[in-house]
Amino acid sequence: MKKYLYVFLLLFLLTALPPLALTASASAGPAATATGEISTSPATIAIGAQFNGITLEVNGTVPAGSEMVVRLMGAPTELHLRQKGKVFGLLWMNIGQIALKDVPNVFLVDASRPLDELGKAALPYRLQGLADNLEYEKNGQTREIDVPHELLMLKESTGLYNEKTGGVKLGPDEGGKRTFTAELTIPSSLPPGEYKVEAIAVKDGAVAATSVTSIKAELVGFPKSLSDIAFNRSLFYGIMATVIAIVSGLVIGLIFQSKGAH
Amino acid sequence: MNLAMNLYLPIAGNSVNCLAILGLGGAVGLLSGIFGVGGGFLMTPLLMMMGIPPTVAASSDSNQIVGASTSGTLAHFRLGNVDIKMGLLLLLGGVGGGSIGVQIIKILREMGNADFLISITYVLMLGFVGGYMFIESLQAMKKAKMNDFIAHPPPPKKESVYAKMLNSLPMQMDFQRSGIRLSLLMPLFLGVLVGILAAIMGVGGGFIMVPVMVYLLRMPMHVVVGTSLFQILFTCVNVTIMQATQNHTVDFVLALLLLIGSSFGAQVGAKIGKKLGGEHLKILLASLVLVVMFKMLYDLLVRPDVLLAYMGGH
Repeated sequence: MKKYLYVFLLLFLLTALPPLALTASASAGPAATATGEISTSPATIAIGAQFNGITLEVNGTVPAGSEMVVRLMGAPTELHLRQKGKVFGLLWMNIGQIALKDVPNVFLVDASRPLDELGKAALPYRLQGLADNLEYEKNGQTREIDVPHELLMLKESTGLYNEKTGGVKLGPDEGGKRTFTAELTIPSSLPPGEYKVEAIAVKDGAVAATSVTSIKAELVGFPKSLSDIAFNRSLFYGIMATVIAIVSGLVIGLIFQSKGAH
Repeated sequence: MNLAMNLYLPIAGNSVNCLAILGLGGAVGLLSGIFGVGGGFLMTPLLMMMGIPPTVAASSDSNQIVGASTSGTLAHFRLGNVDIKMGLLLLLGGVGGGSIGVQIIKILREMGNADFLISITYVLMLGFVGGYMFIESLQAMKKAKMNDFIAHPPPPKKESVYAKMLNSLPMQMDFQRSGIRLSLLMPLFLGVLVGILAAIMGVGGGFIMVPVMVYLLRMPMHVVVGTSLFQILFTCVNVTIMQATQNHTVDFVLALLLLIGSSFGAQVGAKIGKKLGGEHLKILLASLVLVVMFKMLYDLLVRPDVLLAYMGGH
């Protein structure tokens, strides 16, 4: 019962204090109305043998005069990382572990204008917003490092976190509305799974509308079959991998031998 | 055209350029054929640079080495360079040593110092092996030149304490391919030792095994290379199947691409190796080992760009 009371109180506060609500949780603010349906093209991300990342198109309609932020994000999960530090004042080693809470595996943001110009309203949707609210625990030897900053660097180095501008194109204002088309660059290292695509319209420094849809990335064709065998029939997979390797080695050896004989 | 060049690796979870992987396989295969090392200590870091997760890189490389060493062993076998008896004894010891090494790693991990010890073992082993081989072959090459010049045969060597010890061991047997007579306890014991080190360091152990065969078993360099490849073949079959069943980290597509490159490389390497003199081979391998050692030392001493790392691997 207590839980519901808190939720009720929280909702009350959010609706009673609109300006605060905008910075804390934009989607709950009263000024935010749904943009209506947004759609993605393709509707699902098929990871086949030739998959090399794709450009995901996101389309929708927003209130006239707004700027857009579009984000693709994986479900937040717990993440365990090693921390590096100096040992004996000389050698850089893994010295401890850090458990981070609610870290999405993927976080791609694009906007119609430089995100800094969109101000506070866009902050919760940015990498910095994630870093500001990051919770973590250290195990083992602890050294003072800027964990959120280091996390962003680590994730950005793999291409799974990215924040850029210019991939969102806005249409002209028509009857109080405008259309937008966003092109998100999806890296080839995108893990299969369910992702959330959000479109956030920002107008006059406040969130004017938000809309969410989901998209699935799944293995298809040859990668799917091979992955199924690797995980479900792993002994067979291991033996097959070695046998094929041995046969290929022999065949190539024999080809070379016959070539050498001529 | 672009379509054909990129391939998605289902287990690594990333796409790669086929040509880059084929080239990488070819280059490492060449070294493998020349020196009789698996090349894992070079391949794994290079694959990681191409965006392959460390655990997948190491396991798929083992799978690849199975094929490459088959091809390499075949080539050396035809040249009469594989001492199967010696190889089997080393292998037997190596498997035993590997199991001991895995237990040691477990204990170290519980104590919390595993990573530190692994890195230090790496640098010390590489430095010692590389340094010793380098200096030794340099001296041998100088001597050879001097002897040519004066046209005198080298003076007969005095029998060292080590040689006396070798001769006094029980169970002496002939190794015809290598042209030596030795107690079968020696390869067994050294196999265990290399197996332990290889398991701790997480590598096939080729670059430790080769110097051990040259200096401690006193086998001729060309037989060493063929025999080492023969031994590595079986070690990597074991590792591949274990990794596939326990950790699901073998990416067969990646392994096959690397394999095609490295099998050709290994064939060419075996021929180049035959042309190079034994001392040249040793000094080249020593340089390679030293380069890797300095790279690792550098990584230990210089502040990394990012102070957080993913779990897994070492």
